[in-house]
Amino acid sequence: MKTRVWIIILSLAVLVCAVWWMLVSTPSYPSKIVGIYQNGSLVEKIDLNSVTGEREITLSGKFGKNTIFISHGHIEMKSAECPDKICVKHGALESSGTPIVCLPNKVVIKFESSSDGADAKTGAV
Amino acid sequence: MDTIMTLTAYGSKSESAVKTAESEINRLDTLLSVQNKNSEIYRLNRDKTISASADTLNLLNRAIKIYNMTDGAFDITTEPLTRIWGFYSGLKNRVPSENEIADALKTVGAEHIRIDKNNITLDRNTSLDLGGIAKGYASARAAQILEENGIYSALISLGGNIRAVGSKPDGSDWSVAITDPDDNTQQVGTLSVSNTAVVTSGGYQRYFEENGQVYHHILNTDTGYPAKSGLKSVTVVSEDDTLADALSTGLFVMGLERASSLYSENNTLFGAVFVTDKNEVYITDNLKNSFSSQRSFEVIKI
Ligand SMILES: [Zn+2]
Repeated sequence: MKTRVWIIILSLAVLVCAVWWMLVSTPSYPSKIVGIYQNGSLVEKIDLNSVTGEREITLSGKFGKNTIFISHGHIEMKSAECPDKICVKHGALESSGTPIVCLPNKVVIKFESSSDGADAKTGAV
Repeated sequence: MDTIMTLTAYGSKSESAVKTAESEINRLDTLLSVQNKNSEIYRLNRDKTISASADTLNLLNRAIKIYNMTDGAFDITTEPLTRIWGFYSGLKNRVPSENEIADALKTVGAEHIRIDKNNITLDRNTSLDLGGIAKGYASARAAQILEENGIYSALISLGGNIRAVGSKPDGSDWSVAITDPDDNTQQVGTLSVSNTAVVTSGGYQRYFEENGQVYHHILNTDTGYPAKSGLKSVTVVSEDDTLADALSTGLFVMGLERASSLYSENNTLFGAVFVTDKNEVYITDNLKNSFSSQRSFEVIKI
C-alpha cells in the first residue's frame, strides 16, 4: 500500500517536472517577423505572431496607394491602385521564397531572414 | 547539365525572358558537355580537331587565359585524368596505378591545345573537360538575356553557381549563403551581393573512399591526385561569371597562400571566401563589407 502511494507521488512529481520543463524550455510562440519595404528602405518590421486585433498600413507610391492588412499571423496586400494588381492577387504572405511584391509602387513585403533565410545558397556540386 | 537550375526574375516581361534564358543555358550545355555525343567538345575529344563555333572558341580562349593566370591550377585538359579516377557518370571510382597517372599527366596542360582562327586541334591523347567553367559562361549569358529583356532584378542558380542580376526588387542586396562543407544544411556565412556571380568549389560533395582514404574530384595536374591544398571549400565573388567559376576550382587547387598572392595582384577582379581543413574561415578584404558570419574569420589584406 505504502509503495503504491509513493509510486503515485513519484509519478506526479515527474509529471509536474515535465510540465514545468516544457513551459520553460519551449518558447511561447515562434516569431514570424515580416519586413515592409518601399523604395528599398524599411517601412516597418512586425512580428505577426505578436499582433492582436487587426491593422492596416497605407503606403503611397508613384501609381497611387497600397493598403496592407495585418492580423495575428497574417499579412496581405488588401488593395492597391497599381496598374497590374499582382500584389493583391498574391494573397497572404506564406513563404520566404515568394515575397509580396508591388513592382509599380516598389513595395515589398517579406519574411525577414533568420540566420539562414538567404535568397540563395552556393556550394560545391 | 545534370544540375538543378532555378531562375527567379522580377518584372512584367519576366516569364518569356526566363524561358529564353533557360533555353540558352540548355543550348550551351549541349554544345559544351563532355558526355553529350552531340556536343562540339565531344567531337573535338574524339576527332582531335574541329572547326569550332564562336561560343566554344570564346570559352576556350578564356579557359587558357585563366590557366595562365593560375599557373595551370585551373586546367581544362583534365579529361584523361578525371576518367582514370572514374569521376564520370557510368564509371566506377578507383585509385589508378602510378603508371596510369604518369601516362595521363603527359596529355595534360594547355600547351596541348592549338587554336588557329576557328580551328581547334588537340595533341593525340589530350581531351578537354569544360565542366569547371561552362556553367559560369552559361549563367553570364542567361544574365545578359534577362537584362536585354528588361529584367533588372533576378537570381540565377545553376547547380551551386549563383548569379545576381541587379539587386532585389526593393533595391536591397541579395543574400547568398555559403554551404558549410561539413554539413549541407548549415552555412558558413552569407554574402550580400548585387550584379555579381558567386561560385563555390570543394571536395566535399563528390568523393569516394578506398582503404580508409578519401579521394575527391578536384584533381591537381601537377601530381595527378586529388588536390591537397589544406582547403575544404573556396567561394569566388566576381562580376565575371566565367572567371568566378574557373577560379573557384583554381584557387582550391592553389591553396590559401598562393590564392592570396593571386588575389593581391587581382583584387579588382575577384574576392574569395576560404574554409580550411581546420575549419578556419578567411575572406579577402574587398568582401569585408558584404560578408557576415556567426563564426570568427580572418581578413586577407593585400
Ligand atoms: Zn501592385
